[in-house]
Amino acid sequence: MNKEFKVLSRPYMVWLSVLVFIPILAMLVISFSNLNSSVSMSELVLSVSHFNLLWESSTLIAFRNSILFATITTFISFVLGYFIAYEIKLSKFKNKFILLTFVILPMWSNLILRTESLANIMSENNILKSIIGFNIFGNISGTWIAVLFGLVFTYMPFMILSVYTALEKIDFALEEAALDLGLRPIKKFWKVVFPLSFKGVVTGSIMVFLPTLAGFAIPKILSRGQIVFIGNIIEQKFIYTNYNHGALLAVVILIFILGSILLLTKFDKEGETLL
Amino acid sequence: MDNKRALIELKNISKSYDDETVVNNVNLTIYENEFLTLLGPSGCGKTTILRIIAGFIKPETGEVIINGKVFNDLPPYARPIHTVFQKYALFPHLNVIDNVAFGLNNRSWDYLEKFYGEEKINAEIKALSTNKEISQKKAIKSLIYKDSIQALKLVKLDGFIKRKVDQLSGGQQQRVALARALVNKPQILLLDEPLAALDLKLRQNMQYELKEMQRTLGITFLFVTHDQEEAMTMSDRIVVMKEGVIQQLGTPKSIYNEPINRYVANFIGETNILKGVYVKKDLVNFLGVDFKCLGYKFNDLEEVDVVIRPEDFDVVDLEKAKLVGEVVFSLFKGVHNEYEVLVKGEKLLVHTYESYEVGQPIGLAIDPYEIHMMKVEKSE
Repeated sequence: MNKEFKVLSRPYMVWLSVLVFIPILAMLVISFSNLNSSVSMSELVLSVSHFNLLWESSTLIAFRNSILFATITTFISFVLGYFIAYEIKLSKFKNKFILLTFVILPMWSNLILRTESLANIMSENNILKSIIGFNIFGNISGTWIAVLFGLVFTYMPFMILSVYTALEKIDFALEEAALDLGLRPIKKFWKVVFPLSFKGVVTGSIMVFLPTLAGFAIPKILSRGQIVFIGNIIEQKFIYTNYNHGALLAVVILIFILGSILLLTKFDKEGETLL
Repeated sequence: MDNKRALIELKNISKSYDDETVVNNVNLTIYENEFLTLLGPSGCGKTTILRIIAGFIKPETGEVIINGKVFNDLPPYARPIHTVFQKYALFPHLNVIDNVAFGLNNRSWDYLEKFYGEEKINAEIKALSTNKEISQKKAIKSLIYKDSIQALKLVKLDGFIKRKVDQLSGGQQQRVALARALVNKPQILLLDEPLAALDLKLRQNMQYELKEMQRTLGITFLFVTHDQEEAMTMSDRIVVMKEGVIQQLGTPKSIYNEPINRYVANFIGETNILKGVYVKKDLVNFLGVDFKCLGYKFNDLEEVDVVIRPEDFDVVDLEKAKLVGEVVFSLFKGVHNEYEVLVKGEKLLVHTYESYEVGQPIGLAIDPYEIHMMKVEKSE
């Protein structure tokens, strides 16, 4: 590699170590020790005393909520997102980039703003109702349906994009070959198109599952605090400066993330579908 | 081929893209068990014709008749035709044997029952059920497996059944693609420049093997290529195409020896085309000399194009020669020498075993039956 490029890569290497590796190390230390603001460094003791937190029912419920919602969101995103991606691929529309832009358009506005607006139009009296005269969503704000809707709405574009990328890579000659060998279009889809786009589904699933699992803003806003995710608990712990507990839960999430990435590399050895 | 039966008939087929006519009013009959080659440069419409027959493209006008039935509106999966694609189009998520068995594995049981016939299935059930009952489906699956192995044996790849297709070389992938089509026992096999990606040696081997397979299996092969040598080696008949129009249809020999126009003459191998005059019956004048000729009928004193293949010149002593020229360029081609000979301002391409130096005079003669004549095309 050129020397100039090596130099240019340095700022990010510094950034990476100062703002990623060191904090992760700190997080690990904090979660496995008694370190906090009232304990000085000299009295630092390794301990697993915080681990009781993991078996508290509130934590378990939060984990259950996170995993349940993340799983359902991923599944819904897969079913709906796949067919949107497939439709975009099949469309005769010349500039498919514009169609994809529509898909990612919502992502260009701020997540909190978007979620707050969603919460607003899901509540009983809202701006949409005064304009069109009726409530499209009914009054679902605060329910699990609202949370699920918000999650799918927010994260499905990731699924659509990664499935679309995988679909676009399928050589059209393969589909012709399937028809040529006597497969009807439906069967061709299941035997050729779907297996070949499965990598995209895996990538997309991880890209939907992880932020849903770790997120806290959407459930907090849309459930009006009724449904607690693990992210909400972490947020609470940090707000109340219980860093040990916060860090421990964050480490658990990290393990989930690393596990998913391992899973991903197993399915996608060349990193083809990873956007 | 004496008792020819028409298998595919194309009647007045036309197709255009964006006002550009790709196939222009093509009529073609393909007979049972023949090896027919569509030959032409890229963009001449040969692949389009193939895709129309396969059912991937609908012609704008005309009829595709297969076995006496109009097939225009039938989708590809309902046609008794299989294609070997240019880039093989093997399924990357399946191994070799699954690729080969793909077509049969995805057929309905009804189709497979008819495909194998009751007798064969019952025989297979009997052969398999030594101590326990074997279902019909299991017997059919076993037949598919055996057939796939058989097809792989035919293309000499039976040692590779569990390989992933991306671990095969180009030539092996080519063979898998061939086996994948042949295992379905198609009446017609369409081959879209299947040898284009192979190196010379492999390509020549595959040419012989394809021809051999076509002969032994009794399947009609419709082959598309831009390589005239390939077409010559394998075909029973060749269709030479240009800009969506059939120029000439005939056996390799007749197309080589009696090209119908300058385009065909130039496309099929190197040749000399000279302006001449048909003086009277069996006499033609070109390069200022009268030559005896055979078997052509034109009006007396009509202008004609005379075609002489480079290897048809006889190199003779200067005093016996009808034409005397000077060697201006020489190239050793292994078996023969290739010379450019300047005769009365015209450069002639001559192949001969004799060796001459550049600048030496050379005497040429031509046998009457080696002189071919074409009508002069007005447009050129």
